Amino acid sequence: MTLDVTRGEFIVILGPSGSGKTTLLNLVGGLDSPTSGKIIVGGRMITALDEKGLTYYRRNRIGFVFQFFNLIPTLTARENVEFAAALVNNPIDPVKMLKVVGLKRRTNHFPSELSGGEQQRVAIARALVKDPPILLCDEPTGELDFETGKRILAVMRRINEVRHKTVLLVTHNTAIGDIADRVIRLRSGEIVEDRRNPSPIDPQELRW
Amino acid sequence: MDELHRMSKLNRKLVRDLAASKWLFLAVAIVILLGVAFFGASFLGYRNLKKSYDYTYETLRFADFTVQVVKAPEMAVEELESISGIEAVTGRMDSDIILTLSGGEEKRILARAISLPSDSRPAVNDVKVEEGSYFQDGQGSTLLVEKSFAEYHGLQPGDIVRLTVDEQEISFTIAGIVTSPEYIFPAKSRQEVLVSAETFGVVFVPQDVVPELMGKPFINEFCFLIEDGADKDVVIAEVEDALDPYIVTDVVTQADQPSNAALSMDLQEFGEMAEVFPLLFLIVGALATYILLTRIVYKQRSQIGLMRAVGYSRRQVLIHYLSFALIIGIIGAIAGTVAGYLLSEAVTNLYVGFLRIPYTRIEMGWMEWLALEEGLFIGILPCVIAGIIPALAASRLIPSEAMRTPPPASGRKMLLERLFPFLARLSSLWKIPLRNIFRNRRRSLYTIIGIAFGISLILVSAAFIDSVDYLMNLQFERIQKYDAQISFAQPQPLALADEVEDWDETERVEPILKIATRLEHGDNTYSTLTEGLPTDSELYGLYSTDGNQVTVREEGILLSEGLRNTLNIDVGDVVNVQSTSTVGQLEVVGFVKQPMGSFAYVTLEQAQSMAGGQDVITGLMLGVKPQYIDSIREKAYQIPGTASVELTSETHEKVAGLMGFLKGMMWVMLGFGAAMALAIVFTVVTVNILERSREIATMRTLGEGRGGIAAMITIENVLLGLAGLLPGILLGYGLAVFLFRLIQTDMFSFGLVIFPRTYALTAGIVILIMLISQLPGIRQVNRLDLPRVIKEQVS
Repeated sequence: MTLDVTRGEFIVILGPSGSGKTTLLNLVGGLDSPTSGKIIVGGRMITALDEKGLTYYRRNRIGFVFQFFNLIPTLTARENVEFAAALVNNPIDPVKMLKVVGLKRRTNHFPSELSGGEQQRVAIARALVKDPPILLCDEPTGELDFETGKRILAVMRRINEVRHKTVLLVTHNTAIGDIADRVIRLRSGEIVEDRRNPSPIDPQELRW
Repeated sequence: MDELHRMSKLNRKLVRDLAASKWLFLAVAIVILLGVAFFGASFLGYRNLKKSYDYTYETLRFADFTVQVVKAPEMAVEELESISGIEAVTGRMDSDIILTLSGGEEKRILARAISLPSDSRPAVNDVKVEEGSYFQDGQGSTLLVEKSFAEYHGLQPGDIVRLTVDEQEISFTIAGIVTSPEYIFPAKSRQEVLVSAETFGVVFVPQDVVPELMGKPFINEFCFLIEDGADKDVVIAEVEDALDPYIVTDVVTQADQPSNAALSMDLQEFGEMAEVFPLLFLIVGALATYILLTRIVYKQRSQIGLMRAVGYSRRQVLIHYLSFALIIGIIGAIAGTVAGYLLSEAVTNLYVGFLRIPYTRIEMGWMEWLALEEGLFIGILPCVIAGIIPALAASRLIPSEAMRTPPPASGRKMLLERLFPFLARLSSLWKIPLRNIFRNRRRSLYTIIGIAFGISLILVSAAFIDSVDYLMNLQFERIQKYDAQISFAQPQPLALADEVEDWDETERVEPILKIATRLEHGDNTYSTLTEGLPTDSELYGLYSTDGNQVTVREEGILLSEGLRNTLNIDVGDVVNVQSTSTVGQLEVVGFVKQPMGSFAYVTLEQAQSMAGGQDVITGLMLGVKPQYIDSIREKAYQIPGTASVELTSETHEKVAGLMGFLKGMMWVMLGFGAAMALAIVFTVVTVNILERSREIATMRTLGEGRGGIAAMITIENVLLGLAGLLPGILLGYGLAVFLFRLIQTDMFSFGLVIFPRTYALTAGIVILIMLISQLPGIRQVNRLDLPRVIKEQVS
C-alpha cells in the first residue's frame, strides 16, 4: 500500500480486526519494521534506522496514546507527564500540558485514583509534552464510555487544530470517521477506501 | 472419569507453566537443593566421623582416663585391677626420648616412646598395625612407629632407628607402622596440639626393652577402662588414692585427652553447622517459593476465573497451584539428598585421608536413612508452607471478579518522600526504582532477608578465613620470631647460649627455660609449661590482650588468655606454681595472646629458681642468617644434648597445611552462600521485571532507551542489596560469634577477627551478584515485543 500524509491532517483509520490498522500505526511509530517497503517521515527514511535510531525517533517525533492508557502506576499524573518530558530537550511545561487536557486539579493523583477518562487524558498530555509533530492513537476510546470517549476525541481534535499536530487515529468504530479530515479504510492489509471529509463534525455531535 | 479428564488437562497446564518459567523454578529449587545438600553432607559427615571414632575407640580399647605418676612398680597394676569399677588397666612407660633417624640425612627428634606388652596386646590403648607386624621375637629390639610420623619421614618396616637415653644409644628395627586411638590427631599435649613431625613423633617399644633403655624397670603411666555403669569420678578418686605412694602428677580423662579433645571440638562444630546453616537456606527457599507462586497466581487471575467458571472445583484449583510449590520442593529435596549423600562421602574421605583414622565406618544405618528422609522432609515442607498461601488465595477467587481487568496497581508516595520532600524532586530515574521498592513491600522485605542470609553466610566463611590469617600472622610473624629453636633433653648450662651466638650461622641467640608446672588457683588446676624468657627478648613476642607488646617481669607471672577462665583468675590474683622440685606463689601481672596452647611466662631467673638450678636452660631460640636456614639443624645436632630442632618455617607450613584444609571447607561454604544470594536475587529480579514488562514496554515506546531501563532496574536492585547489607553483616557477625565460641579453649584461642576489607569485599561480592543475577531479566526486557506488550491488558 502507498499512503501519503500531509502535515497537520487528522486521519482516522478504520477497518475490522486483523485488517492491519495497528500494524500500520506501529510501523509509522517505529515499533515495528516492515519486511519490505519504505516509510519516510518528515524527509527521513525510518525503515533504515537501527534500534537506537528508532528510540530517538520515537522520543522526538512521536506521541503515543494507547487503548489501555499504559500509565506508570508508581508515578502521579504529573510525574507520568514529567517522565516523558525528561526525555526531550525542549519539552512543554508538564503542568501546563495537564491544564490543556483539563486535569489541573488532579496533577498529584496516582493512576489508581483516576477514572478511565482522566487516565487517558494524562496519557494524551504525556504524548504531547514532548511536542512531537505526530500523534498516534490506537483505539483511544476503546476502554471508555460514550460520553468520556467523545470528550477525549474533542481534546484530540482541538490539539490537532490549535497545535497543528498530525494525528493518526486507529479505531473499528466507524462513527468516529465523521470527525476526521480524512478517512482511510483497510481490509486485509490493503487500503480499500481513502476519502476526504470536507466538513468534519464536532466530536460532541457524534452518535454511536 | 470427568474428574480425571479435567485433572489430566490441569497437569498438562502445570507442566507447560513450569516449562515456561523453567529458570525461575530451577533457581528456587537450587536454593532448596543447597539447603538439603548442606544438611545431608554435614549430618552424614558428622555421623560417619563419630562412628569411625567410636568404633576405633572401642576396637582399640581407648582409655577412659589416664593417670601419670613419677614412678611405679609393675605389680601396681594388679592392685589397681581389684578396684571396683575398673574393667582393665595397663601400666606403661610414656617418656619423651631422643630418636635418631638414620638414612640419607641424620635427624634427631624428641619422640614420645610408649611401652606395650612384648608378647601380647595391651588391655587398654591398643594399636592397629597398618603395615608390617607387631613386635617380633628373636630379631633384636623392634619397635612400632605411628603412621603419620612414619609417612612424613618415609619410614618402613625393616628400617633402623636409634633411641638415646643418657648418652646410651640402642638400635631398633621397625617391625610395623601403626595407628593409635591416642594419636589420631597427633598432638604432643594440650599445649602443643599442632606439632610438626620434624620435632615430634610417637613410637611404641616392647615392655621388656624398657629396663635396658631406662636402666631399670619403669612405669609412669596407667591407662584405665571403666566398667559400664561405674561412677567415673568415684573410680578416679580411688585410683588416685591407690597411686598416691607413687606421686600422681596428672590425671587426664578421655574428654581432655589432646587428640580426642581436638577431634571432638571439630566434630561438634560439624554437628552445629548441620543444624544452623540448612535452616538459612530453607527459609530463603520458602520466601522464594512464595514470591514466585504469588506472582503466578496474580498473573493467571483470569485463567483461574475461567477454570472456576467452567467447573473446576476450589480444591482442584488449590491442588493445582500447590503443585507448583510441591514440585519445586520435591525436585530440590531429592537432588539435594543425592548431592548431600555424595558430598558426605567426599567430606568423610577427605577427613579420613587427612587424619588417618584407624577404622572408618561409612555405612547407612537406620539413623542415616532417617536423616536422609528428614532431609527430604525439611526440603519439601518449607515449599508447601510457602505455597499454601497463594494457592489458597487462588482457590478463593470469585470467578466473575477474577476475569475482570483489575485496576492499575496502586501507586503512592513513600513515607520517606513525605518526610524528606527533596526526594519528590528526584528524577524519574531514581523515583521509579524507589517507589517500586515500596510498591510491593513484602516482596522487597523477602528480598532483603534473602540477601541478608546470603551475606551472613559469606561473612561467616570470610570471618573464619580472616581469623586463620590473623592467627597465623600473630603466631609466626609476631610471637614466634625465632627462626629455629633447639630443645635439650636435659637442662644445659646458660653459657651454651654464648657459644652458639658465636657461630657464623646465628644472628642472635636467646636462652629459654621450660618447666613442667602445675598452676593452681582456688579449686582450679592446670598443668602446663612455664617458660622463662629474657626480659629483653626479641625473638619471642608477648602481646597483652589489647594488642600491646609486653615483657616478662620479675615481680609476677604472665598467663595465656585461655587460662583466665580455666583457672578463674584475674590480674592481681596470686597463683600457686608447682614444679617437680619447688612450690611458689606468683602474682598474675597480665594476660597474653596465645593462639595455640596455654602457657605461663616468667623471667629466665624466676624459672631457674623454680627449676632449682642456677644458670640452666632447656632451649635456645635462634635468629639465623638466611643463607644458613637449611643447614642450621645439622649444625645444632653437634651439641651433644640437642633433642630436637624446630624450624619456624616448618611449623608454619604444618599449621598452614591444617588450616588450609579448614579454609578450603570455608571457601566451599562461601560458595554456597554466594549461590544462595544469586538464586534469590535472580528469582526476585526476574519476577519483578516480568511483572512490569508492560510498564517497561510503555517507557520504551515513549522513547526511553535500553540503557535508561537497565539503569532503573539496576538502581532498584542495588538499593535492595544495600538494604540487606547491614542486617546481613549483623547476622553474619552473630553467627560467627556463635560458632567461634566453641573453639575458645585452652588448646586453641581462636579469636574472631574480621578485617575491615572483608566487610567491603562482602558488600562488593553481593553487589556483583545482584548485577549478574539481573542480566537475564534485563536481556528479556530488551527483547520485549513492544507492540504486543503495550497492547496487553493490565495483569
